[in-house]
Amino acid sequence: MKIKSVKRAAFMAVGVVTALALAACSTPQQGGGGGDTNADAKVPSSIKLIVPFAAGGGTDVWARFITPYLQEQVEGTPKVVVENVEGGESITGANAFVRDTGTAGDQLLVTSGSTYLPALLNRKEVEYDFTTLIPIMVNGTGGAVYVSPDTGITKAADLAGYDKTLVYGGISATGNDLVALLAMDVLSIDIDATFGFEGRGPARLALERGEINLDYQTTSAYLTQVEPMVADKKAVPLFSFGVPEGDKIVRDPALPDLPTLEEVYETVNGAAPEGDAYDAYRAFLSAAYFYQKGIWAHEGTPDSIVKAYRDASEKIANDKDFVSKSEEFLGGYPLISGEEAATALADAFAITDDVRKYTLDLLADKYDVTIEAK
Amino acid sequence: MDAAFAALGSFLDPSMLLFLMIGVIAGLVVGVIPGLGGTAAVAILLPFIFVLDTGPAMALIIGAVAVVHHSDAIASILMGIPGSSAAAVLLLDGHEMAKQGKGAKALSLAFMSSMAGGLLGAIGLTISIPLARPLVLLFGSPEIFMLTVLGISLTALLSKGNLLKGLIAGAFGVLLGQIGAAPASPDYRFTFGNLWLSNGIDLVAVALAIFGIAEVISLVARKRAIATVNTLGTGWGEGVREFFHHWTHVLRGALIGIWAGVLPGVGATAGTWMAYGQAQATAKGESKRKFGKGDPRGIIAPESAANSVEAGDLIPTLLFGIPGGAPSALLLGALLMFGIEPGPRIITDHLDVIYVIIWSFAIASVLGSLLCFVIAKPLSKLSFVPFPLLAAGLIPILFIAGFQGAKQLQIIPLMLVLGVVGWLMKAFNFPRAPFLIGFVLSIPLERYYYLTDNLYEFSEWAVRPGVLVMAAILVLPLVFAAIRWIRAKRNPQRIETFDDDEAEVDEDQGPRRWSAIVSAAFFVLFVGAFILAQDFAEAAQLMPNVITVLGAALSLAGFLVDLRKWKKEGPASEAAAAGWRHTMRVIAMSILWLLAFVVLIYIFGVVVATAIYVPLFLWRVARARVRALIIYPIVVVAILLVAQQYVGIVLPNGYMNLGI
Repeated sequence: MKIKSVKRAAFMAVGVVTALALAACSTPQQGGGGGDTNADAKVPSSIKLIVPFAAGGGTDVWARFITPYLQEQVEGTPKVVVENVEGGESITGANAFVRDTGTAGDQLLVTSGSTYLPALLNRKEVEYDFTTLIPIMVNGTGGAVYVSPDTGITKAADLAGYDKTLVYGGISATGNDLVALLAMDVLSIDIDATFGFEGRGPARLALERGEINLDYQTTSAYLTQVEPMVADKKAVPLFSFGVPEGDKIVRDPALPDLPTLEEVYETVNGAAPEGDAYDAYRAFLSAAYFYQKGIWAHEGTPDSIVKAYRDASEKIANDKDFVSKSEEFLGGYPLISGEEAATALADAFAITDDVRKYTLDLLADKYDVTIEAK
Repeated sequence: MDAAFAALGSFLDPSMLLFLMIGVIAGLVVGVIPGLGGTAAVAILLPFIFVLDTGPAMALIIGAVAVVHHSDAIASILMGIPGSSAAAVLLLDGHEMAKQGKGAKALSLAFMSSMAGGLLGAIGLTISIPLARPLVLLFGSPEIFMLTVLGISLTALLSKGNLLKGLIAGAFGVLLGQIGAAPASPDYRFTFGNLWLSNGIDLVAVALAIFGIAEVISLVARKRAIATVNTLGTGWGEGVREFFHHWTHVLRGALIGIWAGVLPGVGATAGTWMAYGQAQATAKGESKRKFGKGDPRGIIAPESAANSVEAGDLIPTLLFGIPGGAPSALLLGALLMFGIEPGPRIITDHLDVIYVIIWSFAIASVLGSLLCFVIAKPLSKLSFVPFPLLAAGLIPILFIAGFQGAKQLQIIPLMLVLGVVGWLMKAFNFPRAPFLIGFVLSIPLERYYYLTDNLYEFSEWAVRPGVLVMAAILVLPLVFAAIRWIRAKRNPQRIETFDDDEAEVDEDQGPRRWSAIVSAAFFVLFVGAFILAQDFAEAAQLMPNVITVLGAALSLAGFLVDLRKWKKEGPASEAAAAGWRHTMRVIAMSILWLLAFVVLIYIFGVVVATAIYVPLFLWRVARARVRALIIYPIVVVAILLVAQQYVGIVLPNGYMNLGI
């Protein structure tokens, strides 16, 4: 009797373990299925925007801001819903998106700088490729780098011959922090970077408390949070990342008083920046800022559907209500349809092996960060 | 002042009150459902605010945010299933009270405390607006680090006279919290190549599994109702009276809650446990022992804190533009859409909006409590329903709620595994409260240790006044305990017996031999994790090393203690052994039933799985009547589909997509 029950228990245990092991090994796909591949396929009646970040983050709020306009402007007024698939610095959600190869256009991926950068660095976790996904729309942003007055710096020109080490607070060396690190590398300023902050907000507070003395913020946070600090003489602006105009970088219209990194470099060194360091900075700057937020469709989505979405993007970009609201909300950075941005995006994502190697070496040598590349 | 009254005046407009009411109702409904909280509530309402003006939009959102912690107490107290991870603390005293048949008293204590916590939070918010900025800036990384240390040290306090097992559980919690991306270096730890684990295991899933599913496992098998007595008791008035009697705990809980909300990285769950911990730590003499056995203070302090956390959360959101949690992050987004930019200038530019927010919070807290009193009476009858009948609906809800965080199907079998672990912990007296504290504070502790260590010299940060104060709070009780212990030694008659044998004996109580096996299993787990940790980058290695070494040492000690006791006690009596065999059989059946559901989800997706499983479960386990067999599953599936359509709940798909 006793032996029998033990046997039965053992059987059960084996059964449970096997079932769980099976369950854990292979996982059914979450989300939509395959689709129509013929040329004049119709726009689906409902569209899911996959946001690979948590609800409430910058990208999520951006997606939710765009949603009602998409709903209104895409032909046939489909229902548009946001779904958050967060985790892994947005790699998880973007991977899940490309694993599902449906081409019905009923799922679109929303991206941010931290989705692009791991792909540019060739991190081994990344399964997606922005040279094959189809851009629907992109929307840039800007940012500015500033220091605390404790550094003794009172204006950008003081960086000439500055030999002290600045203390930088970051979230992760492979996220958007990378651009700020590369910018300081262009200027040959030594920085001691501490990673592990929960976000840009906590890092800014750390600067106010004197724990760090070098920080950057994106434009909207700069205008609302840092400008009052500048007025109180608690912060000294150095430069903005600027905006692209043709091949050149010009002053950011949202931050017209701030020089660009290029201007500062010229003031300090007497010549325009060039070389490996600057190439690396520019390569990552485009993806991280100029095309930071984007909506992408699967490779192979029928042209008719892509065209419908891109047309809608164009209409949204010219919508009066959108333009006035986005002035405040998106800082006035224009929304560009995927069609218009396609070439520039293709350039931005085709970075050379030299640039990649330079960046990875910099991270490894200066910041002790080694990245497992593909 | 004028602005405050002008804002109050705006509530004379019936439409304002109407939107506030809608927000409150949405918040309460979402709060009642185990595992869903403020984020879900705000996410539901967000589409509506695009069409509203600033005032009504704020009333709508704040109404919901302010009350989710009112109604999440209901499931915790009545069913022993955490209504949210923050409400898990109510399982200790609140649920205990309900088991004693005093559910009504527990609920009225909880609602009164929620209301008071909300009101005090609103007052705190008002007062702190001019003060918050310098105060927040005073609190640097070293202070937050010390606060997390203080929080972790609660594990010892919450161990209930079973210090060794409590610490093992706490270490296990910290270890589980280490899974995922390391805070200070781009490394993934203990993910075994699974990217879905890179964000760590979702807190909601862990709390629901370790408490909720464990409860389902042990109660389904026993087939009886939750309350062990069969009257609801007339405790409503008694609850209100005791609430006023313990008003200092209301105040203290609220203050802790506000701070937990203001500071980054602390949050509601840690805040409620800290409030509970301080209430227990400061209780005098004999009354300390009542904690965990249905003490009203064990409800008041955390409930008051849970509701003031949300108010505290609004301070950094409004003044710094730094949201403390997901709900306030969504609020931040909403504010931006109205062109209101949180930051230092908000006080001068948008004071009116701030006061609308404060009044909304206060009024919603009162409304929410009143509504809770109304709905609690019918809901409290649930604790007299045979549990299997409830479980038929609870099982899908628990798994679906746990799924919402990661939205990866693998979380579902993982929840089942954690549920079994939770049951084992319960059966072998490993307290689960320290586990949850360890889990919640694992990453903040590590993050702020690294920030402190990198940004300061030890001689700098260790002497900061805030750090010294918290160090004193940490050390003084130990000094007092040592003094008491020395005195007691000199005076043998007064020795207090703090032996772990007095821990209450649960019906599931396992035999000593098995207890030793569980300790040994923990030892193997810690050693295994230590070996894995040796491959991590330097900046990702320290914390796993410390915790696995500590955990291994503790569990080895636990194993030896169990072994010694087992030898001393000799083999269990025949009756006890037979009883244990019986328990094992029914528990195994419960687990198999749950496993069946998991397998069904994998095959059909959750909707079809529920439609198949619920009637089967009702028929075979709950032995329900035919009418229930038909109506119950229809209702559950309908709720799921409605929630998917309107609440934005994501329902997992299976291999066979049947189009639902």
